[in-house]
Amino acid sequence: MLSLRTAARHHGVALRPDLPVHNLPLHRRLPSGTRPIQTATVKDADIARLAAKPLHPLTLADLCKNGRPPLSKQSLLSNANFTLSILPSRLAHRIQSLRSLPYIVVANPNVNKIHNNYVHSLSTLLPYAERKIETLEEEIKFTEAMADLVQTHSNTIAILAKGFLEARKYISKDEVTKFLDEHLRARIGTRLIAEQHIALHMSSKPHNDLSDQDQHKEDEDSSFIGVIDTELKPAALVRACENTVGEICELKYGVRPTVQIVGSPDATIAHIPMHIEYVLTELLKNSFRATIEAGMEKEAIEITIAPSPPPPEPAGKPSTSPEDLPIDPATNTPAAITTHDQGAVDAASSSPKPTASTSPNIRPLSHATPGVTIRIRDRGGGIDPSNLAKLWEYGFTTFNEDEIHDKTSGSGGGGMAGLDMLSGGAGQGSELAGLGYGLPLGRAYAEYFGESVGVGD
Amino acid sequence: MRVSARNLLKNTLDLPPSLRTQAYATAANTSAAQPCTVPPWRPSNVLDDWVARDVRPISLRQLTFFGRTLTEPRLLESANYVRLELPTRIAHRLRNMQTLPYTALTNEHISHVYELYYGAFERFRKVSEVRNLDDNDRYCAVLKQTLNEHLSVIPRLAMGVLEIQDTIGPDQSDLLMKTLLRSRISRRVIAEQHLALTETFHSPWHFPNAKKPATLTPEDDFVGEILLKCNAKEIIEKCAATATQLASKAYGSEVAIPKIVLQGHLDTTFPYIPSHIEYIIGELLRNSIQAVIEQKGSSEPPPIEVLICEAAQHVIIRISDQGGGIERDVLPYLWSFAKGPRRYRRLENLATVPRLKATMQELEPGAASHSDKVKHGSSLSSLSSRPPELRLGMGLPMSKIYAKYWAGSLELHSLEGYGCDAFLQISRLGNKNEVLTTRASMDAV
Repeated sequence: MLSLRTAARHHGVALRPDLPVHNLPLHRRLPSGTRPIQTATVKDADIARLAAKPLHPLTLADLCKNGRPPLSKQSLLSNANFTLSILPSRLAHRIQSLRSLPYIVVANPNVNKIHNNYVHSLSTLLPYAERKIETLEEEIKFTEAMADLVQTHSNTIAILAKGFLEARKYISKDEVTKFLDEHLRARIGTRLIAEQHIALHMSSKPHNDLSDQDQHKEDEDSSFIGVIDTELKPAALVRACENTVGEICELKYGVRPTVQIVGSPDATIAHIPMHIEYVLTELLKNSFRATIEAGMEKEAIEITIAPSPPPPEPAGKPSTSPEDLPIDPATNTPAAITTHDQGAVDAASSSPKPTASTSPNIRPLSHATPGVTIRIRDRGGGIDPSNLAKLWEYGFTTFNEDEIHDKTSGSGGGGMAGLDMLSGGAGQGSELAGLGYGLPLGRAYAEYFGESVGVGD
Repeated sequence: MRVSARNLLKNTLDLPPSLRTQAYATAANTSAAQPCTVPPWRPSNVLDDWVARDVRPISLRQLTFFGRTLTEPRLLESANYVRLELPTRIAHRLRNMQTLPYTALTNEHISHVYELYYGAFERFRKVSEVRNLDDNDRYCAVLKQTLNEHLSVIPRLAMGVLEIQDTIGPDQSDLLMKTLLRSRISRRVIAEQHLALTETFHSPWHFPNAKKPATLTPEDDFVGEILLKCNAKEIIEKCAATATQLASKAYGSEVAIPKIVLQGHLDTTFPYIPSHIEYIIGELLRNSIQAVIEQKGSSEPPPIEVLICEAAQHVIIRISDQGGGIERDVLPYLWSFAKGPRRYRRLENLATVPRLKATMQELEPGAASHSDKVKHGSSLSSLSSRPPELRLGMGLPMSKIYAKYWAGSLELHSLEGYGCDAFLQISRLGNKNEVLTTRASMDAV
């Protein structure tokens, strides 16, 4: 129990979404194998039965409904039972979805590993199935199962990407995109639920009774509800991402562009830091690379943070939409993220999906808290019109086929491994570009609760 | 309504999420008892190479012409043609199966067939060039062994297809069956033809350069498996006798069996593979006899009329019965392997089809005539001799595939409440190529 708490002591800076665990600093690593997780054999009948249940559409309200930490014992158990009620069927849906892919794709060792990971995770949850969690001991074991789940699936995207790259002869790009869109969006939700429970567990009363006084005080003042930061400062995130991406840049190119923040740097919103961090990192990676390769590293990349005024009534016109952005086709490539904390619904369940890529902001709901628009403007030369259509495809990258061979051959060369270790990771892969997942995945994160990403060229 | 919507979809992934939950629920009810058999992993580049090759289809005429003057170089040429064609054709079908959804391929029946095919592929592709008669003998042994092993493929495939209906719709599964069976026929034709040619070559009365003896022996009409002069009348009479015999055994001696009356051009002949044509006509006659008996009862049953019509390039055989026609609810599924309302009963029946080779001697001790020449088991003859109660639901779709294989056709016209007319059309000249699934159409699929 102590090690679990130590591990999450800095729960305020939550886990990065898709980072290989070995890249985390020691104190942030989850305990692996401190206690063996109880598993049950997963039968096909179990999967079929669980997949037959409809998916519960996840909302931000769901994540916060058990109150602000520190949580009482009742609230904690209630959260555990809520998590338990929706996770198994989400996992079962993922397994069925994987099994609907052509056999030869699922037989690929990488894709197969991911499939087996999901079956394993379901096996850790089956012992709790059909029961309610009623004691703190059970809840601790359950949280360990959550930790195991988060850890097992931390590297899913890189492995899946490699698998689909290897199997590209046997499945069309459209099918891959369709499958990944749904799968990765669902994955966001599943991880979120698990990480939220772990974070709430860490900051709850029963588990902190034995801790030192400082920690207790820290928790009471914290602005966090689990993984949600109610006083998140986008500007701080931007600076953090700028640093990380800048380091990789320097490693690869020897120079790094600067970033200038304009607008309202002091604006705060309530959101999940790691999601926004991921999107920002991917966009900055693109911008930095384009800027340097266009020879414009002296020019600062301008990032505007514009808090949206609270709308007078629901369904009001949104503050900015991509069409409003000033466009200078010759030199400018503004990319806009709009985050509206709306308590809207995640798109991976049966509720209607938001429409295509550059859809403007979704209408905020009546109880919307103010959101923010972040615009990233670089002078990296723009996007080639022929590539515009493929922007949102998974696996599309302007790196050439030789690089792809490097990635699939597995040897990769010492260079990549070195980058892996040194850069401490910013998003998956930790090299500057190449897997082709940054934009579509970034959009998935941004759109998860109904926000959007737009690209103006 | 849900059924027809499913017909249009290739895959559960195409369904919107809300309907997909429904589909999983249906699958949950049916799949609870089905075991999942995962084939072992293999590297795909080996298969890729063979899939990239094109098949070289062949026609009846080419086969007969080739086998007429049988010399050693000819025999070795035939061996090498078969040696390369078989792995290529199997590789194409393996690739078809690999692109099925994972859930479909891991069904125990489908994966059993997949493993059989993969084993055969591995065996065939490793055969080196046939340079002399000893090589040929070794190769023929491999062929015989594989032909025997694969006797159970047809009922297994049919069962598997019925079980995976929730994963792939009826359209896709029919296409799969058609492609697989068509290819299977083609492989067995060229393999059995080569085996028969080898046997002829080695038989004591074969002298490649000798003049034809004065008295024509029946063996002269055969070139390997192909009977150059299939006599329509004889074949129909033979099938009629078999079908009648089986029916009287099954229904008992008190029940009157309808007579089968032949009309038309009774001395028509055409080149064909006897087992194929016997299967088709056998199935049609059995259906007719069954329909007549079960409709009219034991009074004087109206005869089944068979008309043979000879045209310049075709032979058309019409089988007319007064068995009451085809029921409404069965009609849409007549030619499909994915049966509709009768699905579960068919599945049960298929499970009882014995290992086909074993039953050939059991059910029909004296029946085999031309099949005497065939030393290895023939999957068709044992299917033909199954008891009438064993309704597998495969006779019509299979017959159609066989008919179309040499560019013929099979059609059925039902007069509801009265009877049925079946029209079998066969090409007379034997110069049409095998109808195979080519690479282009395969990629489109």
